[in-house]
Amino acid sequence: MDIIESKTWIEWVITIAKFAFCFVPVLYILLLIPMERRGAGFMQDRQGPNRSYIKIPYFGKIRLFGYVQNMCDGTKLFFKEQFAPSGVNRILFRVAPAIPFAIVFLSPCVIPWFGPMVFEWGDQTIRIAGSIVDSDVGVLLLFGFSSLSAFGAVLAGWASKSKYSFLGALRTSSMTISYEVCLGLSMMGLLVLVGSFNLTDIVSWQEHHVWGIVAQPVAFFCFLIAAIAETGRAPFDVAEGEPELVAGYHTEYGAMQFGLFYMGEYSHICINSFLIATLFLGGYAVPFVTTETMQAHMGGSLAILCGVLAFLGLAFLHMIYRYSRKLKATNLTNRFEILREYKLYKIVAWIAVVVFIALGVSSWFYYNPANFVVNGVAVGSLATALGTALIHLLVLVVKSVFFCWVWIWVRWTLPRFRYDHVMHLGWKIILNIALLNLVVTAVIAKLLGGN
Amino acid sequence: MSNYYNMPKLPTENSPKVEIFVDDKPVMVPGDTNLLEALKAVGIETPHVCYHPYLPVSGNCRQCLVEQEGPRGRMLVIACYTPVAPGMKIYTPASSARVKNARKATQEFMLVNHPLDCPICDKAGECTLQENYMEAGQNESRMRPEYGKNYHGNPAHQFIDAKGQLRGGKHVDLGPRVLLDEERCVQCDRCVRFMRSIAKDEQLQLAGRADHTYITTFPGEKLDHEYDLCVTDVCPVGAMTAKYFRFQKRVWLLSHTPTISMDDSLGANIWLDHADGHIYRVMPRCNPEVNRSWLSNTSRLAFQNFDKNRLPAMDVHKVTLGKGKVALVAGGSCTMEDLAALRMFKESLGDRAELFGGSLLKVGKPDGIAMSGDPVANRAGMKLMGYADVSEFMKRASEFESLITVNANLFGEDSAAAKVLEKINTRIALSAFDDETVKEATIAIGVRHWSEVQGTMVNSLNILQKLNACPVCPDENLWAPYAVLSHMAGTKFETAAEAFKKVGEYVPALAGLTYDAIKSTGKLLEGGEA
Amino acid sequence: MRVIKQKPMNWVERLYVFEALRGLFTTLKHAARGLFRYETLPAISYPEGQPEVRDTYRARHRLMKRPDGTPRCVACGMCAAACPAHCIFIEATASDDPRIEKKVKRFDIDHLTCVFCGLCVEACPVDALRMDTKKISFMHRTREDFVAHLEDLIDWDPKDYPEDEQSQVAPGGKKNAEALEVWGMEVK
Repeated sequence: MDIIESKTWIEWVITIAKFAFCFVPVLYILLLIPMERRGAGFMQDRQGPNRSYIKIPYFGKIRLFGYVQNMCDGTKLFFKEQFAPSGVNRILFRVAPAIPFAIVFLSPCVIPWFGPMVFEWGDQTIRIAGSIVDSDVGVLLLFGFSSLSAFGAVLAGWASKSKYSFLGALRTSSMTISYEVCLGLSMMGLLVLVGSFNLTDIVSWQEHHVWGIVAQPVAFFCFLIAAIAETGRAPFDVAEGEPELVAGYHTEYGAMQFGLFYMGEYSHICINSFLIATLFLGGYAVPFVTTETMQAHMGGSLAILCGVLAFLGLAFLHMIYRYSRKLKATNLTNRFEILREYKLYKIVAWIAVVVFIALGVSSWFYYNPANFVVNGVAVGSLATALGTALIHLLVLVVKSVFFCWVWIWVRWTLPRFRYDHVMHLGWKIILNIALLNLVVTAVIAKLLGGN
Repeated sequence: MSNYYNMPKLPTENSPKVEIFVDDKPVMVPGDTNLLEALKAVGIETPHVCYHPYLPVSGNCRQCLVEQEGPRGRMLVIACYTPVAPGMKIYTPASSARVKNARKATQEFMLVNHPLDCPICDKAGECTLQENYMEAGQNESRMRPEYGKNYHGNPAHQFIDAKGQLRGGKHVDLGPRVLLDEERCVQCDRCVRFMRSIAKDEQLQLAGRADHTYITTFPGEKLDHEYDLCVTDVCPVGAMTAKYFRFQKRVWLLSHTPTISMDDSLGANIWLDHADGHIYRVMPRCNPEVNRSWLSNTSRLAFQNFDKNRLPAMDVHKVTLGKGKVALVAGGSCTMEDLAALRMFKESLGDRAELFGGSLLKVGKPDGIAMSGDPVANRAGMKLMGYADVSEFMKRASEFESLITVNANLFGEDSAAAKVLEKINTRIALSAFDDETVKEATIAIGVRHWSEVQGTMVNSLNILQKLNACPVCPDENLWAPYAVLSHMAGTKFETAAEAFKKVGEYVPALAGLTYDAIKSTGKLLEGGEA
Repeated sequence: MRVIKQKPMNWVERLYVFEALRGLFTTLKHAARGLFRYETLPAISYPEGQPEVRDTYRARHRLMKRPDGTPRCVACGMCAAACPAHCIFIEATASDDPRIEKKVKRFDIDHLTCVFCGLCVEACPVDALRMDTKKISFMHRTREDFVAHLEDLIDWDPKDYPEDEQSQVAPGGKKNAEALEVWGMEVK
């Protein structure tokens, strides 16, 4: 019981609540799939999936800008029959898709979702780390987890008893090995500067010095390429290159088994974009503002946050009003149906904007909690700490969503590399640049008299 | 107008060869014919409209012009009316622009008052004018539409249409089977010559003069003759059209099967023109020895009943016969193959069976055109095969206990005489049609009609002629008579060629022959009088 | 034979990075257009929005009509002869009208077999067959329904072809009355 009593109940609540972050990648899948499908549509001058709807009695059809399509597809995948070709290794065939998806719940453990919460509780000053496991080897753990997902591909390829699956699995494993090396080495320069493997330390270093992208632009570039390659997405998706390998290691999979691979891939993107945001874009840090400043002006910070959200709501309203006007002028036969649906969105958005503005104004004027400094650390109330954590979390989400978009953007722009080109790029170019970057960084750091 | 006496002499194998110069090149041509036929014999086709090899030469169309070197220089002469003379010098369009221009001008003149009816004309596709236009004409129209055309025709049939154009009679009812379109007529007078010289019944006449000439019948009379549909064949354009074929099918959609008409012992050579599994018309097939280019209406219109009232196929071909005597009667339309199979069946039965052939219908007289008058088409073949006449069987009918008829409609042909057959216990009928004999029969087996089988027949001129199968059989399961009979006899003939080999065994005159050895015009057997 | 040599890449292009960035910029432009100017996307939301069909587009067939409403077709079979897909089936019969000899009894176009090449329209000697209906979609429940029969082919409204004089001659058209006057003129 010592363990339990070593912490107050509020500490326990927050610590356990933090495990909810394990589900962030799964939530990101819900965001990424429509983003990918409609984004791809827009880049190709299409409209993307926008036809499915839910029929609401006495109202009409709800399309949610095409989001219903993804719900339909998910439902379909879920209820499809799961079959396996004859001759496969049954157990491994069933287990393989679960591996990449299971990793999804491990990886978020080490990512700092917000700055360390320090607040006054009773007579104690409580400090709670921003990640679920505040490990000193956080980065290495993360790399380890993400490499595990290659097991799923290898097992799937081997268990399928199909030459296409097998070749795809071989390619996946070799690519994972190659680009893990690049990934690790390109990050090394930054680690030299920071002097720690702890991700929270890395973020706080960036918060107080400069962002990693400024300090290590070459490393950022190499890391981005290697991260894209490691997820096995275009232009590095040689593992499932359909011209030669049908669909790679998941050729023989269907239904939700395929769905698990699919979701594993998207969660991998999510994790990698969180990693890049954390390593090179300052993680949860708000640009140009330190956590201390923010805590000192908590009411104002929350007001600005609400203002930003209200602005986004207004921008959404502007777009939807504008498009409603244009839609009215067309002669689409279903335009009034769509306009009625848009009216609903307008109402919801207006309510949201009004609520955000009200919240912002009230926090600006009425929420000014006292702060004091203990041992050089700003200590506020629980509310201040929670507000800080919220802002940090939203900032991190914005940064990672941007990188998710980069993944999609690159996929629908660049054509697939040939397999030997991928290897050439990994071993002969990225690796060398990363090594050179490490050496130069180390020399300069030493010359400038760092640690 | 046409001369009654100048029937063209056609070249034969025995024609003397003479040397003439065509386009300054020496060629050997038959010497006893006209220039058109002589040039045709060496492969030079001359366009012609009014000339027909089996009609008297009229020479009124001027389409077959060639140049001949004469004492007054090179003159244009018509090839159809110029006899071949040794050493004559002829120039064809191949070397002479004048001939080419002359033919082209003639063609253009002929089209001046010819309506542009090709889309609705039944002759389109086999029209002489179209062929000549493609060969000799190809001229651009010099007509001025505001003047319109000056159509020929009977003034009584003329009318002015909604555009103000004077029109000729478009569907003049010449008789029960033939319609006349006066606008399309080019006054070649082939039909008139046919009725006068071949049918020997001058029912058609040219009336009027110059460009007012038109074809007509005598007042109050109609064109009604056993051979009146032949005028639609000889008509080079679509002026004379047969009512039964009017607008039925465009001719280029028809496939043609050469075969023999099996309703007369002359065995007129015919084309069965069929499409989509139906026979649409029957056309005479030229055979100089047999029916030339003519065909009687009886033979021509018989096809309309070929697919009606048919007997369905029956897969039981084994029949049990009583102990008594068996009469095997072959009908008139049995081919040599059927007769051989029947004889084989007779041999399998032994001495108690006897073979008869023929029909109870009366034998008429030959009309000298395309009918011999004998309804038993293969009577000569039956004689060769050793069949007794059916009249013999009728006399001794009471002796027999079983009767098998093959396409022999004894009850339908003479129901009074066939009364005696009702005493025969077992009456088996093989027939294509569900006729009276089938209704009286105890067992009836459907077989293929003669238009749907391959085979041979020997006609009244003792010419062995070949029938081909037209793919119009209404039921794929129907067997040919020879197949059913040979199956009953024990060894089935899968093809007509096997049966024909059997024919060779029975008839020494036909031994060693194959279908390929029989020409399309037939093979004259020893002792033939043709 | 004309050989076009590819322009050799310069070193910037060979670096790939800058060309890739250029490509990324291009797709970004398109994505931004889709997001902010959705209505300018060239794709049409099909069954609700209909594409503009040009006059020369070879769409569903129709048969032109005489002033009295009968089809102009004389059943000559030229279209069937020209048809490379063999999808036109025509049967003719003699007309009751003394001015017309031949009329069409059956005119079937199997639109499942049709390749919409327009050769039938070119072949028609009386301008009876046209493909200017602008009907581009064919939706039926059975295969048999895809066969357009004579009554379907003459079932059109002159109001849909206001520019076309020949269509206005048909019953219901603007020029039908005067055309009917000429057409119904007593012949001598």
